[in-house]
Amino acid sequence: MGSSTSHLSKELLTEYQELTFLTKQEILLAHKRFSDLLPQESRNVEDSLRVRVSTEQILTLPELKANPFRERICRVFSTAPERDSLSFEDFLDLFSVFSDAATPEIKSHYAFRIFDFDDDGTLNKEDLKQLVNCLTGEGQDTQLSTSEMKQLIENILEESDIDRDGTINLSEFQHVISRSPDFTSSFKIVL
Amino acid sequence: MASFLLRQRSTQSDIEPPESLGEELWEEEMERICSTKVPLQALPYAMMDKRLIRHLREPDGVKTSFWEQWKKKWQRVHQQFLDVSHRLMGTFGLWKTDLYEIGGLFGTGIRSYFTFLRFLLVLNLLAFLLTSSLVLLPLAWLHSPDPGPAPNTSYHCPTSREPQPDLSQIHLHLWDVFTGRALSNTYLFYGSYRMGPESDSQYSVRLAYLLSPLTCLLLCFCEIVRRMVKGLIQKQLLSKDYRPRLSSKVFVSWDFCIQSREAAIIKQHSISNEFKIELQEEQRFLQMQQQTRKQRARQLLSYVGINMFIGLLVVGGISAIYWATKFSQNYKDESLSLLLQYLSPGVISLVNTLGPLLFGFLVQMENYPPNTEINLTLFWCVVLKLSSLGMFLFSLRQQAVLCTGRSDHSSCEPHDYNQCDQCWENSVGQELYKLSIFDFFLMLAFAFLITLPRRLLVDHLSGQFWVWLGREEFLVPKNVLDIVAGQTITWMGLFYCPLLPLLSSIFIFFTFYVKKYTLLRNCKPPRRLFQASSATFFFQLVLLLGLLVASVPLLYVISSIPSSVNCGLFSNYSVPWQVVPEAVALRLSPSAQKVFHYLGSNAFWYPVLILLSLTLTVCLSQSGANKRAIKGLRRQLLWQVREKWHLVEDLSRLLQESGGSDSLGPESPSSPSSRSRSFCPGFPCPGSPRPRSFMAGSTHSQDPGK
Repeated sequence: MGSSTSHLSKELLTEYQELTFLTKQEILLAHKRFSDLLPQESRNVEDSLRVRVSTEQILTLPELKANPFRERICRVFSTAPERDSLSFEDFLDLFSVFSDAATPEIKSHYAFRIFDFDDDGTLNKEDLKQLVNCLTGEGQDTQLSTSEMKQLIENILEESDIDRDGTINLSEFQHVISRSPDFTSSFKIVL
Repeated sequence: MASFLLRQRSTQSDIEPPESLGEELWEEEMERICSTKVPLQALPYAMMDKRLIRHLREPDGVKTSFWEQWKKKWQRVHQQFLDVSHRLMGTFGLWKTDLYEIGGLFGTGIRSYFTFLRFLLVLNLLAFLLTSSLVLLPLAWLHSPDPGPAPNTSYHCPTSREPQPDLSQIHLHLWDVFTGRALSNTYLFYGSYRMGPESDSQYSVRLAYLLSPLTCLLLCFCEIVRRMVKGLIQKQLLSKDYRPRLSSKVFVSWDFCIQSREAAIIKQHSISNEFKIELQEEQRFLQMQQQTRKQRARQLLSYVGINMFIGLLVVGGISAIYWATKFSQNYKDESLSLLLQYLSPGVISLVNTLGPLLFGFLVQMENYPPNTEINLTLFWCVVLKLSSLGMFLFSLRQQAVLCTGRSDHSSCEPHDYNQCDQCWENSVGQELYKLSIFDFFLMLAFAFLITLPRRLLVDHLSGQFWVWLGREEFLVPKNVLDIVAGQTITWMGLFYCPLLPLLSSIFIFFTFYVKKYTLLRNCKPPRRLFQASSATFFFQLVLLLGLLVASVPLLYVISSIPSSVNCGLFSNYSVPWQVVPEAVALRLSPSAQKVFHYLGSNAFWYPVLILLSLTLTVCLSQSGANKRAIKGLRRQLLWQVREKWHLVEDLSRLLQESGGSDSLGPESPSSPSSRSRSFCPGFPCPGSPRPRSFMAGSTHSQDPGK
């Protein structure tokens, strides 16, 4: 353990403040929550910056537990090669994008990546289908029928696919989002 | 430290053949990112990539100029300042945790109602601050005479008060508080403000008293319009081509702040319902397009018929209010039974409770699409609510105005309007005060005497009826209309009862907690999804209408109705507005007077009007030109994409012809390899800058992350 303190150093805090949208309080709170997820022996400062937390553990956080997109969120923000664990910096990135102060552009960029279920850089019909299924839930009575789904997806593509290539790319997505003032307030997770 | 970016690249470069083209594009992209002025926080990359970019932007070795250093230091100070102010706001932020809890449990639609309550509270507090700082403080400072009815100088009236009933002391005081009579000699009401003649003092309290309601209303107007514009979904109203209804709903409707499992399920249900309804409406719309003329005419006729019928009902309700007010005013000073005192508020509430139920029932009979049903019912509810308040005020004023300032009282109603002890502003103020109190207690009564027992009965009793009844649904529009009506009453009473905003703020404060308790314990969430932005626009629109309903009578009174002669500040003036020209003449230098005269004359306002019309024309034509440009650009984009496909097809055909066994054939637009490149480091993206290999049989599964 040595001389490790339970607080982040000042330089590190300033650096994180520069690189994310979080305030000092929020960074410290995030660090505390992250350390709570770690096993007991790695809860000091140095280890907490190195060790990664698996996705299953992250999904136990109350802020993410009820979210149908929780696995996608963890996958998008993870920088591990297998994309199955988050480091502290990934954790900070996550809450930075979902914070109050983040710009709509960065939020829409990450929303696009979260909705892109097959990670291929655009939203095709399959992605949209999975997105709608996440939104409506698993129940029999809430899921849309095949014809309704087809109609819905056709509507979406007709409204948003400007270049008519059958998929929605990032700019088209951001174009749709920019027209909805709701987006910034609904795309928010606060610790 | 090894950057994730670089690691990605190295893995990629192991697999791919030498890719000079890719390298070039990579370098270009890196250069582009490093040279933009976008702050590091706003770059959509992982933390270690941001560090790399920061290092590339300003390597430690390079000495930054003095200007850069100074700018960085300033930014750091600015950031610290923002941090501190955020923390302070956090401690003072009213109800932040409550709002967060409600949002987590019910979503942003219902939370918008509570945010609206907070907005109204702040408005009322600011109105109160304005009035007290402009009027009350100077009044106290200048040691004016104590509030009370002014000594009668011209009519030699006996100083008798209204006869007090023969009740016990405590009961008397409480009752008088509720009717406003105990407070009629305090600063709460208009009648007790007194002031010497204008020429005596430096500070014109009269001018302040006159202008503070007007300033209040003007500031509220500006703030409401600002919020309305912010919440407006742009261009949705302007052109049919822009109709991102469903797609924006799909992308935006999930509230990421929801934390409980039940709330998530409820939200999913409501989203699913919403989609189904929208799809049904579209089908219906398509069906309607194919209707015959006769059918369409019949539909239109029934639509007009139903609206006219509801309009008649509204007119009926409003006349009931008029007669009730007239009746209660006539018999005001006689027996002080509960019924008569609160007759008008009672009738208003009755009309406003029965009305929406009737409207909903009638509209449902016609079998309109759900959106039309909701909008129609809402529209008539708003009309009913605001016009009932307007009619109430109108009938009050009718009574008061008809009977003062005339020498013969024969034109008045049987009640003996003695000119001496009548201060009609006071009585109007008292009526509004009573209405305000009645509204608040009615809200409490509904919450505790109807919703709570209903919940208890439904939870503890079993039976078909109770299951069918269920808990009460928390209807956001109805609650918003109630609160807007309360605010309209406050605005109406600004002139007659200057401390009404303070009372209103206290009521709103308690309303928040009562509504929160009702929502969390006794209600079930509404079935229909209420999107926050359209909600904001709707709230602000209704509030604006309420503001208009409140300001028009006020402006009329100030400019045309003579004030009563033996109470208040304006007793010696023909109309209250007279104070302004008098103040201008008295206190300003002749040149300033000339400026004011010019500002009030036609010669000023006609050019201003012409200028405004010109600006409006320019804006409209610019917007039209923009629309045409956008259409043209969309067409161009389509052509370019098609051209790209032709080129791809030609290229693959050429490659096929020139050899190369298994190169790719013409690809459909939906295959992954043909998408536009997007530089997305941090996640494997086939669009990332490495060339598609048309030569070797490339598979698409090279992305490490797949």
